[in-house]
Amino acid sequence: MSLVNFTTREITCKIVYYGPGRSGKTTNLQYIYGQVPDDRRGRMVSLATQTDRTLFFDFLPLELGSISGFTTKFQLYTVPGQVYYNATRKLVLQGADGVVFVADSQIRQLDENLESLQNLHQNVLEHGIDIRTLPMVMQFNKQDLPRELILAPQELDDALNFRGAQTLSADALHGQGVFETLKAISAEVLRKLSESSATARRG
Amino acid sequence: MTTTTVVEAWTEQPLVRFVGQSSARIVVVMTPAGQVLAQHGFTRAVDLMSAAALGAAIMASSGALAQQVGESTFGALYHAGQRHGIHLAACNTPRGRLIVLTVFGRETSIGLVQVFFEEFVIALRQAAPVEEPRGPVLPADFENELNSSLATLFRR
Repeated sequence: MSLVNFTTREITCKIVYYGPGRSGKTTNLQYIYGQVPDDRRGRMVSLATQTDRTLFFDFLPLELGSISGFTTKFQLYTVPGQVYYNATRKLVLQGADGVVFVADSQIRQLDENLESLQNLHQNVLEHGIDIRTLPMVMQFNKQDLPRELILAPQELDDALNFRGAQTLSADALHGQGVFETLKAISAEVLRKLSESSATARRG
Repeated sequence: MTTTTVVEAWTEQPLVRFVGQSSARIVVVMTPAGQVLAQHGFTRAVDLMSAAALGAAIMASSGALAQQVGESTFGALYHAGQRHGIHLAACNTPRGRLIVLTVFGRETSIGLVQVFFEEFVIALRQAAPVEEPRGPVLPADFENELNSSLATLFRR
C-alpha cells in the first residue's frame, strides 16, 4: 500500500517488475539507474547469483519529483524470473502498489510468458489481492530482435493481455520503451491512489 | 549526524527513547513491504532505503522458512560483525505488523538492545492510533505534473 507522509508531504509507492527469466526486468532497472541524475536515485541493490541471474530481487529507489505538492518516491523491485525461485518471488510482491509485467517477445518464450503470468495471478491471490484491482502494465520487450524470431505486439496482446492492461513495446537494452513503461505504471498507481482518496473523502 | 524522520508521528517518541536507552547507532521502523515509517540515529550508519528493503526481505524469507518447518514465525534475528551488529524483529501493533531494524556498535550489547526492544514494542502498541490515516488529496489532473516530473527525471 502506498505510504503517505502528510507532515513532509511525501508519497512512497512500491512497483514490482515481474516476468519470466531473462525477459529484461533487471535491464529495465539498470537503464533507469543509468539515466536518472544521482540526486534523484538511491543505491541500486542487486541480490544476484554468480552468473548475474537475479536470486532474490533488484531494488532501486527513485524520486519522481513533486506531484500536487507531494514529493513522490517510487521503490522499484524486480523478482527472480526463474521458475525455481517462486518462494522468493512471492515475497517481493508483498505490499506492491503496481506491477510491470515484462514479457519476452521471442516466439519460443511464449509458454514461459504465459506460465509467469499465471504465476503472478496465483501469487497475488495468495497475498489476498484480486489481480483486477492491482495497477498493471505490460511491456513487450526485445521488439528490436529480427521479426522472424518475435511475436508482434498485437499477437502478444492477444496471447497475454487477458485483462486489457496498457501495453508498451520496448527494447530495454537500449532504453526504448523503458521511460514510457515507468510513466504508464506511475500514472496507474497514482490514479488508483487518487481514486481511493476520493472514495475515502466521500465515505 | 543524528537525524529523525517519521512518516507517522506516533512512532517518534517511543523510537527516540529506544535509541537513547539502547545506545543503538540507528533504528529503522518499516512496513513488511520495506517502506520506512520512521528512523532515528546516525544516518551515515546505513543506506536507509537499501537497509529497509533488505531488512524486510530477510524477515519475509525467514518467516517463509519458519512456516516450512511448522513454526508460525521465528523470533528476532541477530547478526554480529566486527564493529557493528544488527537486531531485526517484527512486532504487531494496532496499525499492523511492523519490522524494526536496529544497528548497534561496540558501545552497547545485544542484551541491552533486546531488553529495551521489548519495552519499545509495548510503547509502540500503546502509542499506535487505531483509526486509519486520512487519504491524500491528489487531484484528477495530476498526470500533467507527473509527465513533467518524469520528463525532468529522464532529462527529456
